[in-house]
Amino acid sequence: MNVVNGIGLEDVAGYAAAVRARLADLGREQVEDLTDDLEVDLADALADERHAGHGASLVEQFGTPEVYAAELRAAAGLAPAQAAARTRLRDALGAPWRALVTVLRRLLGELRGLSWWAPVEGFLVALRPLWWVARGWVIFELVGRGTGLHGSQIVWVPRDLATGVLFVLCVVPSVQFGRRRWLQGRWQRRLAMWANLVAAVAVLPMIGWLQGQSLWNQTYLDPVTYSAAPGDGVWVDGMQVSNLFVYDRDGEPVLDAQLYDDRGRPVRTTTDDGSAEWWFPDSDEPWSFVGRADADGRQRWNVYPLQGAPSSRFTFDELGNRRLPSGTEPLTPPWPFAKAPALEASGHDGADAPEQPGASDQPGASGQPDAGASPDGGPAGGEDDGTAPGSEAPDAAPDGATGAEDATAPDAPGVTSAEGRPADAGPQVTSP
Amino acid sequence: MDTTQLLKGVLDLAVLAVVADEDGYGYDVVRRLRSAGLEEVGDASVYGTLRRLYSSGALTSYVVPSDEGPHRKYYGINAQGRAMLAAQHKDWQEFAGTMARLLGEEGQR
Repeated sequence: MNVVNGIGLEDVAGYAAAVRARLADLGREQVEDLTDDLEVDLADALADERHAGHGASLVEQFGTPEVYAAELRAAAGLAPAQAAARTRLRDALGAPWRALVTVLRRLLGELRGLSWWAPVEGFLVALRPLWWVARGWVIFELVGRGTGLHGSQIVWVPRDLATGVLFVLCVVPSVQFGRRRWLQGRWQRRLAMWANLVAAVAVLPMIGWLQGQSLWNQTYLDPVTYSAAPGDGVWVDGMQVSNLFVYDRDGEPVLDAQLYDDRGRPVRTTTDDGSAEWWFPDSDEPWSFVGRADADGRQRWNVYPLQGAPSSRFTFDELGNRRLPSGTEPLTPPWPFAKAPALEASGHDGADAPEQPGASDQPGASGQPDAGASPDGGPAGGEDDGTAPGSEAPDAAPDGATGAEDATAPDAPGVTSAEGRPADAGPQVTSP
Repeated sequence: MDTTQLLKGVLDLAVLAVVADEDGYGYDVVRRLRSAGLEEVGDASVYGTLRRLYSSGALTSYVVPSDEGPHRKYYGINAQGRAMLAAQHKDWQEFAGTMARLLGEEGQR
């Protein structure tokens, strides 16, 4: 028996709720006391064939809920409803909201008095559907995150079936409410208005937060992005290189070679200015590197091989920078080979070298196959003599060059042997 | 003359009399009052009166479970209610007699 003479039980429930609302100031217990059988009594009355207003609507039969409540109240010997008492709580809760609405209404009234406002308002009204979707999206984000459906992922748009269903469940009611098709009941409207307010407040922080999360993920979680933009440094076979070792045409180690790229920029393997620790093969502990001061006193980090020392030998200054204690000289790290394969000596020197730009400033080098210094200065000096690298190269070159014959041999191997690099590594490589 | 005004003064008595006759639930009391000829009685007035009489201790109340529909709250009269009924009954008879005499004398003129 859900319907009595065309009046559904929902009507009875609504009527009873309205009556209870008019009694709300009495306190919950007393309202329950007064009305606990209200629905039953109303339904009985409706079902009673002999009832005076049989078949009429609830309001026709019983009067408005206000009248009904007043009658109930008077018969029960209770004071008539006091408007102030009844709405005290609602006033307290709704006062800020009503104040805001009043201010906004007044503002809107003043704006409407301005000539330029009408087209602006028309434009904003046209954008309303956009807000309906955005509102649904915000609710989607809040619910998805609140229920853990999104997990730790950044979900701008639905990615799978579950989030897709949730998205539809959020956006469609939002749009339908905006079109005044759904959620038009009294309480539904109230709920929807609150959701609207929450969405309006949350939309910008939400976007900002998601943006921040995405950025964070790209920076720290996405290895592809990281390796795609390695920054400074030299990479070989997917691995960052800590040091470079230069050998001359005879395969002899070259000390203090300065490297520049094709645009004249110093080639740096490390960008930590000596603060980091690096491991390399055949070392038992990490090393840290020190820069080389050039003639102008600037620290240079493109002079190879980089010199340094095992990190444990460093001390820290007041600023927290790594320093070698005074009296400790930086060491050259072990060379990968005591000697690299020598280049084919013929042909190049006589015919091709004069054509090369590098060879022009070293005329003597081309004539002397033995002088290992010349290739050293060649690449560094590059295009012309006047530049700083060009002028330095000859300075550095003689050091390495003079040693290339005799002195370098004890020098470089001296370090390598200390680190356990066998001296016979050279012959092995050079043999072919 | 609007009998609802008259009814207000004697509704307590009428409700007590109906319940004293037999225990009843809300609408049952309304129906019996109407059957007895008080057609103008308002539903809410009866429910409010039942509640007030119960609160003042003149009625007892108990819930009867129902297999078909919702549970119903029944009201019954107790000793205090019977005393109240007797007193009011007496008052009413005196008042009604006074009115009858008054109206009778008026009518005889």
